[in-house]
Amino acid sequence: MKNLLKKIFLVDLVQGLWVTFRNQHPKHIYTEQYPIERPKVAERYRGAPRLNINPDNGETLCISCDLCAKACPENLIVVTSVRNEQTKRKDLTTFTYDTSRCMFCGLCEDACPVDALELTQDFELASYTREGLIWDRQMLEEGPRPTRYTS
Amino acid sequence: MAQTFLDSNELVLNMGPQHPSTHGVLRVILKLDGERVNGTECVIGYLHRGVEKIAESRTYQMFAPYVDRMDYVAAVSNGLGYVLAVERLINAEAPPRAQVARVILTELNRIASHLLWLGTHALDVGAITPLFYTLREREEVLKIFENYCGARLTTHAFRIGGLQYELYDGFEAEVNAFCDWFIPKIDEYEELLTNNRIWKDRLVGVGILNAADCKRYGVTGPVLRAAGVKWDLRKAQPYSGYEQYDFEIPVGTNADTYDRYLVRMEEMRQSIRIVRQAVAAIPDGPIMAKVAKVLKPPVGEAYVSIEAPKGELGYFVVSDGTINPYRVRVRPPSLINLQALDQMVKGALVADVVAIIGTLDIVLGEIDR
Amino acid sequence: MAATAWEDELTSELAQRYGSRIERFATYLGQKFLVAEVGAVPEIVETLQLDWEFDYLVDITGVDYPARPKRFELFYILYSFARNERVRIKCSLAEGERPRSVCSIHATADWLEREVYDMFGIEFAEHPNLRRLLLPEDWQGFPLRRDANILAMDNRWVKENLGIESGQ
Repeated sequence: MKNLLKKIFLVDLVQGLWVTFRNQHPKHIYTEQYPIERPKVAERYRGAPRLNINPDNGETLCISCDLCAKACPENLIVVTSVRNEQTKRKDLTTFTYDTSRCMFCGLCEDACPVDALELTQDFELASYTREGLIWDRQMLEEGPRPTRYTS
Repeated sequence: MAQTFLDSNELVLNMGPQHPSTHGVLRVILKLDGERVNGTECVIGYLHRGVEKIAESRTYQMFAPYVDRMDYVAAVSNGLGYVLAVERLINAEAPPRAQVARVILTELNRIASHLLWLGTHALDVGAITPLFYTLREREEVLKIFENYCGARLTTHAFRIGGLQYELYDGFEAEVNAFCDWFIPKIDEYEELLTNNRIWKDRLVGVGILNAADCKRYGVTGPVLRAAGVKWDLRKAQPYSGYEQYDFEIPVGTNADTYDRYLVRMEEMRQSIRIVRQAVAAIPDGPIMAKVAKVLKPPVGEAYVSIEAPKGELGYFVVSDGTINPYRVRVRPPSLINLQALDQMVKGALVADVVAIIGTLDIVLGEIDR
Repeated sequence: MAATAWEDELTSELAQRYGSRIERFATYLGQKFLVAEVGAVPEIVETLQLDWEFDYLVDITGVDYPARPKRFELFYILYSFARNERVRIKCSLAEGERPRSVCSIHATADWLEREVYDMFGIEFAEHPNLRRLLLPEDWQGFPLRRDANILAMDNRWVKENLGIESGQ
């Protein structure tokens, strides 16, 4: 009898509807108002690559050891350097990073011994051209600058 | 006069690669008699990227990010399987702290995979609301992954020999908070679906694959467990310290779609149980074993398989002594499970085909590699 | 491969039954395998299924060693639920040899053998439906063979269809 009443009065469906109704409360709103408020990403987020600069003297931290290029599964880093006769070390000339083929795996970041190459929290890497995604040293040091929208 | 094509009673309908319910680019050619399905033929390969061929020209460590992209819904377990296989070849074992962290992340990954399964399966059957709620919960798991390794989907969380990243401050607190917050949510889904008459009408008695057929077709995972076979690789051949945890294996009775739904819901609860036990017992110590930078395993081959959310995921790695693996073969559970589709849809309606594809929990990235 | 010998009840019975058709029984890294002749493999698979409860065919794979006269190696991995044991069967075959399909013994071999055919070109005799599985029907070549170079294939396509030299 109880089951028959439950069946006629659609008790199981009402139970489900009550769950949906409960979730209509404004405190459950989950929408992020992008691009006005950008999401906060984690500290370890593997986003846009960046070549770090020594804050004291403004020079690049990269020692041109080519370990990042060797570690990359896609072979998309090209590092060229010249040998500096005075300091007997290598000076970085160009550093090319192809973000169009990058899978952001982080192996280059793990390989760098001096923490010069780092994957930052930037995730807005879009470009209008294919060539625009191949970053040279200047682009890598500055980082992408996506348009900021204000409300 | 010979029977022409227009005279025949059988209609060939193409459920093309572009379809909202085929969970990826799967093409199913249905042979229909009215609304009843006489036979099916699956055409796959639209997402074939040649991952096994790529493996031959990458080193062992370099190949790990590619492995995440196969079962892209649950990337962490793919990584675990591959890393365990290579560790077997070089006879190394990850330190205890790394093993416990691996278990925590893999079980969270299982929850994330089942949540997405639930959302999309309910969506295919017609219930749109569970999708929003499950994706909201999955978001929390992905946040934990992001905090840990820096990526939500293609995590590359594990390395050969252990872990790369140390567990971040507040990891235990966050995971415990997630566990406490999540259990009432599973109850919410059960309230929405389990006793719902429409849900039951759509799922009970549909797509039956009994235990004998499961074994014939090599089907594993929740599909096999719903058929009544109490078999889970985490209990049968434990890896990465699973023997220390106390959990149960949910088993179904009728081997139909409804039972598979119940099995997966219970698996989520058991995963939370494992996560709580693991978080309470994280040992101190190193996170990486002593493994050479330039990895050259001795000549040989090894097959290691784990209990991925979808079934038995196996990696067969052949080494010839050089830095590149000679052959990496991935045994995808979704491919083997999809073979059983033909058996399961005999005599079903077209709408049931959608429900059955959903219940098999296939990911085309894994099928096609 | 530094494999050690494997001897127990199963090996002695199989050795008795198949004699010289099984070359050896070994175990490496705790994983048992046996090396057999191509022709004997379907019979061994059937024996293992009927007499020794190996009712689950886990995987069928191939490996290509182009330098060897018998260039392909075919692996069958079987598992027994009752005994919780996994066994590998390894056999070598030359190009053009057609092993017999095990579809009649394990239904799961259908797509697994189709994939081996698709990737390596190993044809299986008595297979109900031997077509390509992952690649398009009209594809030429077998990708997982060691002499199939993806880069060369790509450059060839660019040259034929676009008429330019590829930059790779």
